[in-house]
Parts: sequence; C-alpha cells; structure tokens
Amino acid sequence: MVSSLSMTVDLGGIKMRNPLNTASGTFGNGVQFEGFYDVGATLGAITCKGVAAEPWDGNPAPRLAELPSAIMNSVGLQNPGVHGFVGRYGAYLAGLREKGCQVICQIAGHSIDEYVRATELFEELAPFASGFEVNISCPNIAAGGAAMGATPRAAAQVMAAVRPHTSRPVVVKMAPHDVAEIGRALESEGADALSLINTIPGMAIDINTRKSRLARATAGVSGPAIHAIAVRMVWECAQAVSIPLCGIGGVASGADAAEMILAGATAVSIGTANLYDPTCAPRILAELEEWAEDQGVTDINELIGAFEC
Amino acid sequence: MGTASVAEQEFSVLLNEQAAEGIWRAKIATPVAASIASGQFMNLRVPGDGSHILRIPLSFKHADAKANTIELLYAVVGEGTKRLSQMRVGGVSTLVGPCGRGWWLPKTEGRALLVAGGVGLPPIFAAAQQLADAGIGFDVVVGNHTAERHLVKEIDELRSMTAGEVCDCERRVVVCTDDGTLGLNGFTTDGMKELIETRAYAQVYTCGPNVMMAGVAKMAMEHGVACQVSLERMMGCGFGACSCCNVALAKGGYALCCQDGPVFDAQEVAW
Repeated sequence: MVSSLSMTVDLGGIKMRNPLNTASGTFGNGVQFEGFYDVGATLGAITCKGVAAEPWDGNPAPRLAELPSAIMNSVGLQNPGVHGFVGRYGAYLAGLREKGCQVICQIAGHSIDEYVRATELFEELAPFASGFEVNISCPNIAAGGAAMGATPRAAAQVMAAVRPHTSRPVVVKMAPHDVAEIGRALESEGADALSLINTIPGMAIDINTRKSRLARATAGVSGPAIHAIAVRMVWECAQAVSIPLCGIGGVASGADAAEMILAGATAVSIGTANLYDPTCAPRILAELEEWAEDQGVTDINELIGAFEC
Repeated sequence: MGTASVAEQEFSVLLNEQAAEGIWRAKIATPVAASIASGQFMNLRVPGDGSHILRIPLSFKHADAKANTIELLYAVVGEGTKRLSQMRVGGVSTLVGPCGRGWWLPKTEGRALLVAGGVGLPPIFAAAQQLADAGIGFDVVVGNHTAERHLVKEIDELRSMTAGEVCDCERRVVVCTDDGTLGLNGFTTDGMKELIETRAYAQVYTCGPNVMMAGVAKMAMEHGVACQVSLERMMGCGFGACSCCNVALAKGGYALCCQDGPVFDAQEVAW
C-alpha cells in the first residue's frame, strides 16, 4: 500500500526522518555497517562512539562476556580523541548528513573540564554533527562516566558546564537509576533531550578461578534481557520531564521499538542487536511502520507516550 | 578505516561430522566463499536457542570460490559450538563475513614454517594452501594434547600437498603430542626448535593456544624470522563495531582482533 504515514520526529531539535537511532558503542561510527544496508538512506540518526578530547586506550581484555539474552561489556570508551575521530570519520559522517541521516556525536570525559574541552573541540572540528550526546553514564571507566551522572547535582553540573559551549542540540545519556529526578535536573540545566538507558552494571564470576569473567569486576549488561527494565525507566522519565526522550535497551524488533514509543520515547536506539543481527535496522523500521499503520495513525508522533495504564 | 565489504550471507550445511575427539568437520555452501581470503573468518549464527545471542566466529580450512563452499574444522567448546555440531545436512542459517585481515605472503624470499596447535590447524591449513598456490615451500608442525585429537585427514593432506615446492630439501610435517601418543613427545615449540635451528625460513605462521603462540613468536624473533600469529578473542560483532575484542599492542594501546586481525605481526603484539 502507498503509505501516508509520517515517521518524522524531533529529538530536541534533531529532526529525524524516522525514530530509529543507534546506541553509542554498538554501531562503530556507521561505516562498519555499509556492507549490510545503506546507513544514510535508512536511519533517522546515528549516535557515534563516545569520544573524549584526547585518545583513550580503554580497558584491558577480556571486555566481553555472554549471558542469557544479554552480553556484558567493559570496553571503557576506547577512542581516538576528537581530532582522530574527525580525521577518520568526518568525511563519511558528512556524507550521512547529505543523505538525510542525522549524526549525533557522543562526548565522553573524566571530569567536567574534559567534557567541556571535548565539546569545544567538537564545536570547532565537527560541522557534520547534528547534535551531541553527553555520556554521563558509562559504567566502565574509573573516573567520570557513571560517577558524573550518579546524582541529580553531579549530572546537572556537567550539563550546566557543557551548555554554554554549543548551540547545537544536546542529548544526555543517562544511567539506569533515578531517571525521573536526574532527568528533571538535566532538563532544568538546558538539556534538549535525554537518552536512556545506558547498560546496567552487573557481574559475571568464573566460579573456578573466583575471578571476574571480564578484566574488571563489574561491567555493563545490555541486550534483550534488559528491555523491560529500560521501557519502565523511559516511562518513569517521560512522566517527569517535558523534553523528548530516546529509548534504549534491548530493542531487537519493531515491537520492542513500539513499546519504547508508547512508554514515551520520541526516538528509539538499536544497541546490542546491531552486533549479532547487523541487518536488523531496516527490518525494525519496516515493522515499526507496519505497527503504526495498524494503529490507524497518520503520524508516529501520535503514538509517543500513548501507553494506557 | 572501514570494513564495508563485510556482509550477511546465507549458508547451508553440506557436511557436519566428528573428525577427532572434540573436533568437528563441516562443509557449508555460502556465497562468501567467493570473497573470503586465507586467514580471514566468518561469524556464524547457529539456530536453536534465541537466548544465545552472539554469533560464533570461525576461521576456515579451505574455501572453494568456484563451488561456493567452505570447509570448516571447529572444536565443540560451549553451547554454541555444541548446537553447531548438531546442525544437520541441509540446515540453513546466516553468517557475517568475510571478516578481518588474513595471512599475507612472506615479504622476503624463502621457506615458511607453519606451527599449529590444537584447533589452530584450520587457518594454518589455509595458509599452507596459500603458500602452495604461490609456489612457496614450507614445513609444518602440528601439535595436540593427545593422539585422539589429531586431525589425521588434514595431516595426510598437508603431507601430500606438494604443488609449488621450490626447495630441494625434504619438506617436513612434524606431528607432536604432549603425552607422546603420536609423533614427537613434546610441545609444538619442541618440534619447531629443531626445524628453525637447522633450516632457514623467511616467515613463521602460527595459530593455537595463546601461550603456545607466545612461545612460537619468541623463538621466531630470537632467530630473526618474521612471524604472523592468528589470534582468538571473544567477539561481539566481528566487524569493528563494538571494540570488545581488544588485543594489547607492544607499543601500547589496543588493536581490535576482528578488524585489525585476527592475523597480526607477532612483533606488534604485547605478549
């Protein structure tokens, strides 16, 4: 059938042709997926791997363990720094913009100063960025990361520090706790949108060696197993703030994405599914469109937060 | 920077049978056979358990570009490879590939020395074929814990692989076992020692347990012979998207096994 359905959404000023985005760290910087489908012609946006002002090595091996319907990772934001990132991927990402796919660059830091420095560098060097995602929730780094987003006060301080350094939309990637309270604090400091959830800290112990199955004692759990938790947190956050949300957590089907939208997400990121099912995005998009049509709407926005309880 | 040639392809099982203790031999039909290079790998989805979400990265023994078939040898070590061993002839699924960087030919003239430990044999077999096709002579050391784990068919095939032999010295396939039940009683490094001390090599190729490869790499470097190693890591994606399969580098920092490897120059790796 010829569709009259509008899939366009606005994630805090980032105008997306459809709600599909990618979770940072699960999508490389897009180019790795070009053999699977036309990234720029398919997705509403991509969120790039977190990048700091200077290069980070990341954590030692092993960084990965598999769990039932989930994985655990402790990559620790290995990245080439803003200069290296722009040099390697800038031309490709500018090409995505030309195809109508928004590019969200993720900002990482160990301290408020580092977040600000990375933001300044991105402002200067990344004209292709449609907006930024400030990662205050990585569970796998010793300083900064999740610690920066652990309390409403700490989260608000990062947001307040970054805000004056860019006029482009700023999304904040939240940790999986206290999302209503922290969300309100971020909104009050000028966040344009929130993305949630980051991975849930967990542990996997090798009972024979009595050591962690990963190089670090704790690591972030992601994948289908955490989807229901993520939907609940999106719903809680949506009720607390008026800025748009990007729902992340175990999305592997159009139905999973639809749940996020009903819970209150304007956009939906595919995360871990990109790794094991790298062709999933076009399928998820088709399933999402089919669902919206079945719901009898002409605009996907009518379904955002349409959960009935 | 990118690995845009990596794609998802279907595969169907043509053969899947036990080859040795804990080792299975399979043949699959897949279009990736036409583009995969020696030492590269594929990431296979094994049907049957939706809760086991990650694919299984597997190197291969031989790819036939004309027939579109790939021969595999794999160890049954966990739930995923156990389910793979239970796939029947005609069973279909998908794979992602061709992944990573494979073996390269020696950069200087001379013979090559191939050292395989356990289920490290398939990529070493692929290297042997690549060398034979290029007319480069080679010797092989194949090691295992015990005789029951040896892949007799592959060892015989290596022995008969004579095409392109350019060296007038006798080509050797040295078989060793840790427990002495077949061939030389000792590790692959024991078999390698005798060869590298008596013959000149341009390149060592090795794949096997990490501790073995570390020993092989050290011995190669002590003899001033370039050494390529095929590393194994737990992988999330297989094509550079998640940065989970890091390999510590001698110069500091990390490379990704799936994208920058699995074959590395041994000197680049922090052993």
